[in-house]
Amino acid sequence: MTKLFLVGGLLLAAAAPAWAHHGFAAEFDQTRPLKLKGTVTKWEVTNPHSWIHIDVKGDDGKVVGWMIEGGSPNNLYRLGLTKDSLPLGSEIVVDGYQAKDRSAKAVGKSVTFADGRRLFLGLPGPESEPDKK
Amino acid sequence: MMGWIAVICVLSPAAAPSVAQVSPYRVPRTADGKPNLSGIWQALNTADWDLEGHAAAAGPVTSLGAVFAKPPGLGVVEGDEIPYLPAMTTRKKDNQTNWTKLDPEVKCYLPGVPRATYLPYPFQIVQSQNNVLISYEYAGAVRVINMGAPTKAPADSWMGWSNGHWEGETLVVDVTSQLEDTWFDRSGNFHSDALHVVERYTPRTPDIIDYEATIEDPNVFSRPWKISMPLYRRVEKNARLLEFKCPEFAEELLYGPLRKKD
Amino acid sequence: MTYRSLASVIAFAAVIAASMLAQIPAAVQAQSPATPAKTASATRAWTPPLLPDGKPDLQGVWTNNTVTDLERPKALAGKEFYTEAELKDLQNQERQRLYVTETEGQPPANHSGVEGAGADDVHYDFSQFGLDRAQAKLAWSRRTSIIVGPEGTIPPLTPDARKRLAEIRAKAKGHEFDGPEMLPLGARCIARVNVVPLLPSAYNSNLQIVQSAGYVAIETEEIHDVRVIPTDGRSHIPGNIRQWYGDPVGHWEGNTLVVDTTNFTEMSPFRGAQNLHVIERFTRVDQDTILYQFTVEDPGMWTKAWSGELPITRINGQIYEYACHEANYGLADTLRGARVAETDAAKNSAK
Repeated sequence: MTKLFLVGGLLLAAAAPAWAHHGFAAEFDQTRPLKLKGTVTKWEVTNPHSWIHIDVKGDDGKVVGWMIEGGSPNNLYRLGLTKDSLPLGSEIVVDGYQAKDRSAKAVGKSVTFADGRRLFLGLPGPESEPDKK
Repeated sequence: MMGWIAVICVLSPAAAPSVAQVSPYRVPRTADGKPNLSGIWQALNTADWDLEGHAAAAGPVTSLGAVFAKPPGLGVVEGDEIPYLPAMTTRKKDNQTNWTKLDPEVKCYLPGVPRATYLPYPFQIVQSQNNVLISYEYAGAVRVINMGAPTKAPADSWMGWSNGHWEGETLVVDVTSQLEDTWFDRSGNFHSDALHVVERYTPRTPDIIDYEATIEDPNVFSRPWKISMPLYRRVEKNARLLEFKCPEFAEELLYGPLRKKD
Repeated sequence: MTYRSLASVIAFAAVIAASMLAQIPAAVQAQSPATPAKTASATRAWTPPLLPDGKPDLQGVWTNNTVTDLERPKALAGKEFYTEAELKDLQNQERQRLYVTETEGQPPANHSGVEGAGADDVHYDFSQFGLDRAQAKLAWSRRTSIIVGPEGTIPPLTPDARKRLAEIRAKAKGHEFDGPEMLPLGARCIARVNVVPLLPSAYNSNLQIVQSAGYVAIETEEIHDVRVIPTDGRSHIPGNIRQWYGDPVGHWEGNTLVVDTTNFTEMSPFRGAQNLHVIERFTRVDQDTILYQFTVEDPGMWTKAWSGELPITRINGQIYEYACHEANYGLADTLRGARVAETDAAKNSAK
C-alpha cells in the first residue's frame, strides 16, 4: 500500500513498497519494542532478508544469542560492500521489535554502532568518501 | 631399424585417449568465432543419485516401491573413488544414512555447481559474447558466466560465482564462492565453503558435449578429483524448459508442522 | 535520532541522488503524449546496434526502478503526463525525501501487506540497506502512471470476477495464517508480480538480458526468475500445461521484440486472474534505454484490456543471487507467531 503525500501540487509516493511480499506485522510484535546491545557473531547475507547474529549479555551476566532481521544485501553489494564489511565483534545497538513467537529474534528498525554511526551505509568503504560536488 | 622407430612412434605418449581429446570435432561457430554451445542439454546418468559406482538398491519410501528405488550406475568419478580426508568419512557416512532428512535437493534448495549440471532435468545455454547464461529447469536455478575479465564475488551464494574463458574448443568455467550447504548427490557427498570447481565443456559432436568438472576442497578432500560425463542435446522439435518451481512441493515438509491444528 | 557521521551521510546521499537523476532519454521525452503509433515514430529515429544475427541488441543489466505508480492517483485523474518543469520538481522532491529518510530514519508506513491498514513500525529501515528506491538508479518518465490512457487505472472487474474474488476473500477470512498456502506467493518464494509483465519491485528491481540466435533470455533479480523466450515463431505449449509465468513466445517486428505469453496458472501471481494473456514490446530507443510496453487482458477478469509503458534504463552494477526460498525464515516465523497468538488467545478466553 503506497502512502502518498502532496508536495507542491504534485503527488510523490513515499518509498514504501507498493505491495508487500509478506506481512511483517504477522512476524514481529509492535507491542514488544526492545533495545539490544551486543557484539556481532555472524552476518547472514541472505535473501529475502539478511540476519545479523549478536551476543547480548543480560543483567544476570548470561549471554543470549539474538537474530536481527534486516534487508536484502544485494544493493549493498552494488554500493561496494561485501560480506566482510561488518567486522565480527563489532558492538551494535538495535532498536526494534521482538518476534511474535517470543523467541530471541527481532526486527532491527534502526541499527547503529555503539558510537552512533548507522549500519550499513556508515561503514568505511570506497563509496563512503564521495567527491564533494 | 625402420620397424624399431615405427614401434617407438606407436608407443609414444601422444594424445592419451581421454574423453575430451578423443575427437578433433570442430563445432559450428557463433558469429564472434566461438564454439556455439547454445541449446537445451541434459545429462543421462545416475550421477545425482550417487557420483560413485553403485548397484541398484531399495528406495527410502516403501509405498513408492520400485518407482523410487535407487537405479544402478557405473559412476562418473575418474578413479572411481572420492578421496575424502580420513576425518571427513564419518560425516559422509552420516549424510548418506540420513540423506532424506539432510539432502538439500529434498527441500528444493538451489543445487550449486556441478550438481546443477547432472540433475535429472534439462538446462538451456544461451551463449553471447560477454556472457553465457545457463538456465536450469530444476528450481529455476540460473547462473550467468562472465566471459570478460574475471571478477570477484562480494559474498558466497548457492550457485557460486562463475568466470569463463575459451581454450580452443573448450569452454572453461572457474566457479568459486559457493556456500557450503549444497551436496554433490543424494548419497551425502559434501564439501566446505572452500570448494573450487573448474568445469570444461567440449563439444564432441553436434549433439554431444563432453563435460568435466575438477573439484578441489582441501578442508574435505585429500586431493583434487574429477568427474566426467557426456551431455546430450534435447533434439525434440520445439524443445523448451518448463517450470519446476519446487519450493511449493517442499512446503508441507518444511512448514507442515507449523500448520494450525484443528 | 542524531548521527555523528551526518556529513558523510549527506555527502553519500548527494552522490546517490546525482546518480539517480539520470537524463530522461531524448527519445522518450520526445514522445507526444498520445497514441502508441506516435511513440513508434519517435523510436524509429534511432538505429540500435545489431547482433551478428541481425537482431537488435537488448543485452545488458537494466533497471525499471521508478517513482511512478502502476495506477494514476485520483488527484491526477485525466492528467497523463507531467510537464518538464513538474518532472524536475518531482525529482527534487525525491532527492529531498531521501535526504529526510537518511537523516531521520524511514517514516512509518503500512508494511503489513493488508490494504488500508494503518502504519506500522515493525520493519527494518530500507535506507539503511540501500534499499530505498532513490538509493538505486531511477528510470524517470513524464507519465503519471505506468498504465497509459486517459484513465490510467486497471479497468473494473467483471461481475463474475468480482463474485469469485469475494468468495475467495470470504473463505480466507480468519484463516490468513493457517498454513503456508494461505500466504502470498511472494512470501512463499514461489512467484512474484515483477516478472510478467515487468513491473518494478520495491528494490532490487533489476534484470539482465542475454541473447543468442533465436532466443532472448531475461533474468529478473527477484526471484532469480529466467524467461528464455524463443523467437523462431513456434506456437505455444499445449493449453493444459499451466505455469506461474506462463509460456512466452516471441518474434521481431522491425526493431521491436514482441512477446506473447499465455498458459498462466489459474491463480496467476497477478491478482488472481485465471486466463491471463500478456503481450509485451521491447524497443531499444537509445544507448541506455529500452522502452517497455505491455498489454494485459483476461476477459473473465477485467471488462477490457489494459496497457502500460515504462522506460528501462541501463545500470552499471549487476544482478546478484536472490535465492529466497533457501533462507525464508520469515515464513516459518510468521506461522510460528500465529500459533503463539492462537495459544495466547485460547489461554485468555479460558480465564
